[in-house]
Amino acid sequence: MANQAVLGLYRTPEAAADAVGNLQQAGIGHNDYEIMTGVPYPEGTFGEPPVRHKLYVFPFMGAMIGLTLAILEGAGTQLAYPLVTGGKPILSVPPIIIISYELTLLGAIVFTVIGIIFESRLPRPALGVYDTRITEGLIGVVCTCPEERVEEVRGLLQRAAAIEVKVGQG
Amino acid sequence: MASEEVARDVLQRTFVKGGRYWQAVAVLAVVFLLGVVGFILKLGDERAQWGYFAATFSYLFTVAQTAPVVSVALRLAKNHWRRPLARASELFAVVGLFNLLFFIPLLILLPSIEGRNTIWILGVWPSRFYTPHIFDTLALVGLVVLGLLFLWTAAVPDFAAAREQRGGRGRYAFLALGWQGTARQWRIQRALLGLLGGLYFMDVLTTHFLISSDFSMALVPGWVDSIYPTFHALTGLQAAVAVTIVTMFLLRTVGGYREYLPMESFWGLSKILLAMSLMWFYFWWSAFITFWYGRLPVEQNIIQLIMFGPYRPFFIIGFLFCCIFAVGLLIWNPLRKSPAAMAAIAAMILVGGFFDRMRLYVASWSLADTTEHELTKVPAAIWPQVPDLLVIAGGLAGAVLVYMLATRVVPVMSIWEMKELRLYQVPRQLVRRRMLSLGKPE
Amino acid sequence: MQDRRTLTDIQVNETLTNTVLKTPLLWYVILAFMGGIVMLGVVAVGLLVNMGQGLNGYNRPVMWAFFLTNMVFWIGISHAGVMLSAILRLAQAEFRRPATRAAEVLTVFALATAGLMPIVHLGRLWRAYWIFPYDFSRGIWPDVRSQAVWDPHAISTYLIGSSLFIFVALIPDLAVLRDRTTGIVHSIYTMLAMGWRGTVRQWRLQAIAGIILSALLLPVFVSVHSIVSWDFSMLVGVPSWHTTIFAPYFVIGAVHSGVAGVITVLVLMRWLFGWHDYIRREHIDSLARLLFVVALAWFFFFMLEFMFGLYHQEGTEMVVRELWLFHAPWNAIFVIFILTAFVIPVPLWLFRSVRRSFPLMFFTTILVNVGMWLERFLLIIPGLERKHPFTFSWGEYAPSIFEITIITATFALVATMILLFARAFPLIPLGDAKEARVLRDEIRIGRRTVQAVLREE
Repeated sequence: MANQAVLGLYRTPEAAADAVGNLQQAGIGHNDYEIMTGVPYPEGTFGEPPVRHKLYVFPFMGAMIGLTLAILEGAGTQLAYPLVTGGKPILSVPPIIIISYELTLLGAIVFTVIGIIFESRLPRPALGVYDTRITEGLIGVVCTCPEERVEEVRGLLQRAAAIEVKVGQG
Repeated sequence: MASEEVARDVLQRTFVKGGRYWQAVAVLAVVFLLGVVGFILKLGDERAQWGYFAATFSYLFTVAQTAPVVSVALRLAKNHWRRPLARASELFAVVGLFNLLFFIPLLILLPSIEGRNTIWILGVWPSRFYTPHIFDTLALVGLVVLGLLFLWTAAVPDFAAAREQRGGRGRYAFLALGWQGTARQWRIQRALLGLLGGLYFMDVLTTHFLISSDFSMALVPGWVDSIYPTFHALTGLQAAVAVTIVTMFLLRTVGGYREYLPMESFWGLSKILLAMSLMWFYFWWSAFITFWYGRLPVEQNIIQLIMFGPYRPFFIIGFLFCCIFAVGLLIWNPLRKSPAAMAAIAAMILVGGFFDRMRLYVASWSLADTTEHELTKVPAAIWPQVPDLLVIAGGLAGAVLVYMLATRVVPVMSIWEMKELRLYQVPRQLVRRRMLSLGKPE
Repeated sequence: MQDRRTLTDIQVNETLTNTVLKTPLLWYVILAFMGGIVMLGVVAVGLLVNMGQGLNGYNRPVMWAFFLTNMVFWIGISHAGVMLSAILRLAQAEFRRPATRAAEVLTVFALATAGLMPIVHLGRLWRAYWIFPYDFSRGIWPDVRSQAVWDPHAISTYLIGSSLFIFVALIPDLAVLRDRTTGIVHSIYTMLAMGWRGTVRQWRLQAIAGIILSALLLPVFVSVHSIVSWDFSMLVGVPSWHTTIFAPYFVIGAVHSGVAGVITVLVLMRWLFGWHDYIRREHIDSLARLLFVVALAWFFFFMLEFMFGLYHQEGTEMVVRELWLFHAPWNAIFVIFILTAFVIPVPLWLFRSVRRSFPLMFFTTILVNVGMWLERFLLIIPGLERKHPFTFSWGEYAPSIFEITIITATFALVATMILLFARAFPLIPLGDAKEARVLRDEIRIGRRTVQAVLREE
């Protein structure tokens, strides 16, 4: 059976928090509802659990890859073309440190950005049930549920003073 | 805890000290006396043998006389979390007075600039050859005076609180200078703190510049390293933050100030300590890579002298403790949120800092002839003798002793700032989330 | 005290996207003017390629001149961006909010312009790609022991990193634009916004991203200008360049000129786009205080650099200081540099009324950048003119009209790119402006109301 998405729109964060409370009381799991805002509210404002993510793994991965490439470049090119310049040893370590520093950070940055996009669950080809007024200050609470619970959820969202409730494909 | 209770509690802890405090004072006093014996044994030694003595002086200057800068800088940045730690760092100004004991013999030992090409081209009484002696003394004594004035200004309202508790008489009546806490007095106190703080900060930089140039770099022929004074000052700031953290931890665990020193203060300082440890590498590397790349014989010799030659073990310990290990540990959030872990890391940095000072000062003092044009030969290492070890131990013990005795007089927690904190930090509810509202008075 | 108004999200959207959705006429006028100057610069570069480097004012021993001075200058400007936005983000400073995006954008375009300079300087600029380690067939590799190879590594890392930084912070604003446009423009923003819906998770990751990327970009920012300074200070052939303080001295100088540049841009944005409610007096006041501290630090490093030139009284160093102080036109340039970079603006910033005046801050920050350009010129050219110990091999340098045209064009180029960016994307982060409202609070103490900010406990 296809899941449906129900979206309630609220004018104030208090009303949205009430809606989230209603959903939680009705036994709807934390993974089945989302709060959409046009403003970053502090974590936990709506009584939702803290966000879990693995973003911290990405920079380390990137740093390792960058470091490996840097050592390959820094040491490899010196050994592959052994020409003495400025009286420095053929395999000079300080330049490798400088190149490694840059490429390690580059790798970490690039992978962090990939990680942010991935962990934000982007790119998302279809917006699903959405309302453009969310970027104008309304707060949306969207709940994904099986078809038979749609009416119940609609009631829960409506009860918290929703100004509008929409239903669509989840 | 209510505002009135803060005053009562802190003053109680200042006036009445436990048995452990007096035991520690006794042990430190004995070690200090051993240091005096060591000093007497050293009398008559050649200049080259005084490197460890110079390193101890420089270390105390680096750690203790730079420490009040932590309070000055955070005060300028108007942080709320500095309030519990401000006094602990300001109080290190009293150690400056003790450090003058180390300065006097070094001043006598410092060679004149006769026969050297130096920046001291002005002629000053009694002879142009002693210009650095005069300016360095002015800067250092100025720093001690400024530090004590800054401490006094910051503590006047607390002295007034102590005066009230002691019935309005005694030494606190003098120290409080008739403070009544009128709006005008608060305004003047605030302006004075800003002024003295700014002057102190500038004098710290100047003194680091003078001490590092005249007592270390200028003694090595051909060592022209324009970043060295800044490296010296930066390591000073790093040590200042580290010593503040260690002091905070001790106050929290054995001093009974657990409630006053929140994790937030450790967390705030930990970020600064991480930044300082990263900059340690940066400033060191800037000098190293320039000398390494240039390949000039004199620069190669200097790298040997202060880094990879006779004092390599000292250099490696300093480098690992102050930079590599420090950064490697401080990047982990869980460690930075734990006061015990922070204290351990800070203590490691303080140990590393001492080795760093030894490799720099012992190396510079070990050269016999300061009038050569360039350093052509790196001398062999001078290892510490028994009197050197006694002097080092006595110097460090004496500094801690002076600080501990000062806590008997000056409240180590700034009472008025803790009261002020209660005005500007209010818990608030944002829908379902508990938040903290932080007031920012202009 | 603080001239704040409470604005609704709709008002914020409307005002801050006005550059994108309805562009003022002045925008076209300025763009046309700046574009014209850029074209002149392109022509000058074309002539250089066609007729050779003889068109420049180079003269032995001065072979590094205007172009590299300008590279150092633009790298310096580029340092404001990430320094400001990263440090202020990490410090949770409220006054960062209107400045971050503009600062980051200034970074990217100034950096791209700086990157062009050594390529123009090359002469045979079509061979610029030789710097990359690409040659597997002949086995000839770039010399990584040379600072000239470190430099492109650092600049490209910084350029890629700060561009990505801007992009990540831009995603929520792209969603706002997506929701407010139609037609083909709408589909472009839809694609760029990647389906952003503003869920709690997405906003949370934005916040964490800001912290991680700031922490990663700060070390890059320090390294870039250090490596640029090592282009000079590694060389023993020019004694006045070979000094250990160059790296931090360049970095702090860059921050000095960069923060000044950001204030200039903010004042211009406020005037051009009418963002009076967003770029307020208290913002430039705080930035000016920061600039004051930076300026003092810079002056400290300048004094160190200057004094250590005299420290050992070496002949090769003394002649350069002598040239600075006693020989025309260098002494005039030196005086102008000291006056404009420090003596005039810095004492003025002590006054609250100056820090809170948009025209005066515009004027003083422009002065700083005039001074800082001259500073780089003074560091590079006199050192080269007196690099040899013997007087018969000393030389003089004066820029040719081609160099002057190209340098002028780089200023127009940066302006053009910022204007084009503003046409497509908001220059003030909308989410940040809205968040400031959520976190704003007041504390009553007796009869007085103190402004406050909410923080997570």
